Amino acid sequence: MNDFDAKWQSAAAQARQATRREESTPVGFAARLLARTAQPGRAPIELAWDRLMPRLLAGAVAVLLLCAALEAPHWRDDRPLEPGIENTVAQLVWSL
Amino acid sequence: MTGDDSDLAPCLQRVREGNQDAARVLVERLYPQVIRIVRSHLPVRTAEEDLAQDIFLKLFARLDRYQKRAGVPFEHWLSRLAVRTCLDALRAERRRPELRWSDLSEDQSAWLEFMVTDEASPPDCGPGPVRELLEGLLAQLPPDDRLAISLLDLEGKSVKEIAQLTGWSIPRVKVRAFRARGKLRKLAENFRKDHPDERL
Repeated sequence: MNDFDAKWQSAAAQARQATRREESTPVGFAARLLARTAQPGRAPIELAWDRLMPRLLAGAVAVLLLCAALEAPHWRDDRPLEPGIENTVAQLVWSL
Repeated sequence: MTGDDSDLAPCLQRVREGNQDAARVLVERLYPQVIRIVRSHLPVRTAEEDLAQDIFLKLFARLDRYQKRAGVPFEHWLSRLAVRTCLDALRAERRRPELRWSDLSEDQSAWLEFMVTDEASPPDCGPGPVRELLEGLLAQLPPDDRLAISLLDLEGKSVKEIAQLTGWSIPRVKVRAFRARGKLRKLAENFRKDHPDERL
């Protein structure tokens, strides 16, 4: 055991003597807890949706930005969007 | 927790049957054990009551899975559940709190000085500041390292007990504790080096 380890052990021995704080149950803790257990749990599909939704939104925004970047060089051109991109954008906007 | 399992068994059975009064009694009885574990392994930005509540919610959800086995008392099963929940909470903590020199009291900086220099005798102060200092240093470690050292050095548990609580093998506990102490030494030395003007 090196010097630091020995000193660490003496510090830990001292720290173990620290008095414990109050450990009794806080007022209303059990009631709040039991109220929570009485609530119906959320369905797995809802939890999965919650987890996936931000990623889906981020993906949709990324696709929109990509489409905008592809179209940006031609924004002054007097022509409609590329058909493929136009369809993608329309479908995304519609789905949102 | 005081009291043996035979005393607890009827209460557990009533909780399984949905008896709210029994559940309330169980919470009151187990709370001290749970809060001791929570306080030893609490992420900085989590309220201890919230984490204790999460542990009890898991306890009620998994109570049907608990089966009494010879030599494995209920409180051991609960400790394991609590330690694992705390470890998950620590792992979920995105940034570990920064320990700043200005946060240390005079006693704590004297102890840190003692640990990383050749000083022979430890500073004379109560155990409270030392515990806070060690907890502050431990909070800088990765969650698994912090857990191993907290259980081993601050709670005085044996390697075997830690292996049972965490589900790690005994060699893994030993190796983790060894590496964690090495990290702590570097951490304390670097921390001291970063504040050379504040030597006492």
